[in-house]
Formats: sequence, structure tokens, C-alpha cells
Amino acid sequence: MTGGNLPGLKGQPEVLNGPFTTRQLLRLDEALRLADSSTGLTFSIYVGDLDEPVRGHAERLHGQLADPPHSVLIAVSPNQRVLEIVTGGEARRRLPDRAAKLAALSMAAAFGGGDLAGGLVAGLSQLADHAGRH
Amino acid sequence: MSIIETTLIFAGIPVAVIALIVAASYAGGARRSKRYRPGRPFEFTPVWFLSVPEQVTETAKARELTGARRAELTAGAPVVTEWSGERTQPHVMGGASDRW
Repeated sequence: MTGGNLPGLKGQPEVLNGPFTTRQLLRLDEALRLADSSTGLTFSIYVGDLDEPVRGHAERLHGQLADPPHSVLIAVSPNQRVLEIVTGGEARRRLPDRAAKLAALSMAAAFGGGDLAGGLVAGLSQLADHAGRH
Repeated sequence: MSIIETTLIFAGIPVAVIALIVAASYAGGARRSKRYRPGRPFEFTPVWFLSVPEQVTETAKARELTGARRAELTAGAPVVTEWSGERTQPHVMGGASDRW
């Protein structure tokens, strides 16, 4: 199940006020589930504004996850046109920064064309492919 | 044909057709107004997704191996991986950034 995790983000209607349509949410849900189950890492997607410094804010969000060392956070801010991938200590061993940069490049290309959901799904599958099976 | 009939046929019908097309395009536009266009302000509620959120029911939690659950399962014995010798800095974060 895909669900909002932020305060004030409970229930379906709030999630539907987000940047994605129902169909896109289903695709993202499927992509997240596949990425998690195939790699054993926890992938998470944040779409919203990030405070400056952007990197610091993304790392703080990553720290709020259940198991930060084994987690990968993809933080996207469409209005600031910035994208951050944060990998935890253990996740980083399987997903080196170079692989993360490659996924970031392909995601940024899709986002530049206005395709948020497509870019996220493509980036997730690229990250999961690189991390390999657990 | 009277002047009123002429006006109705040669001006009224084209105006009606144009109005119909305008109405149709606005009706379609309202539905797609959520589309993201880089460089234009994009209003939306921030969202944060995990594949298995905390709110799932207990039965679903028991069946699924979430990140927290995996930690529980592996808490007893240290996981043996090919990198287990390098556990000195387990909290060094990595990743990448990009702009578009």
C-alpha cells in the first residue's frame, strides 16, 4: 500500500491532492514494492519542497526512516527543480554514489520533460537493478 | 431569406461552434491542470511514500517483511555479508544530487 507519512497526510483524499494521479500512485506503489522485495533495502520517495540547504534537509528526512542504514531516500522538489538521493551506510555499499548519480541523471532527464512519476519509476528500477538481489 | 435568418445562419452558427470548442477545451483543461511543467509553479500537497507504511494492519505486518521487521529478524545474529568487515562507519551516508 502506498500511503502518505507526513503530518496531515492521512487517508486517500490527502494523497490525491499530491502531485500524482491514482494510476501513477499505483505504478509507484508497484515499483517501490518490487524494489524493496528484490533488494532487501527500504526505498522511500519524498516529493515536496526542501528547505535550504537541500542536502541537509534530505538527510534529515532519511534519518527519520525506520532503519536509516538500510534505506534509500529519493527526495524530489519539483518547484526548486532539485533531486537528492540519500543512501544509508549499509545501502551505500551495494549502491555506490556513482550508481546513484547515474539514476539521478536519468530521473532528472524525465523530470525536465515534466514526467515526475515516470522518472521516479525509472530511477527506482535502475537503483534496484544496481543494488542486485539480497 | 430575411436579414435575421441570414445573420443567424452565417454568424450565429459559427459563433455557436466556436463557443462549443472553447467550452470543450476548458472542460478538458481543468482535469489536466495538475500537470507538472518545469519552471512553472506547481501546487500540491507534499507526499512521502514507503512501500509498507506503519499504518498497515497487524496481519499484513506479520506477513510482510518491512524494514523494521527485517531488523527484528536479524537482530540476534549479525548478518554476514561480504562487507561485514567494514562496519566501522555504518552511518556514513552517500547518494547523489541533480538539478534539471
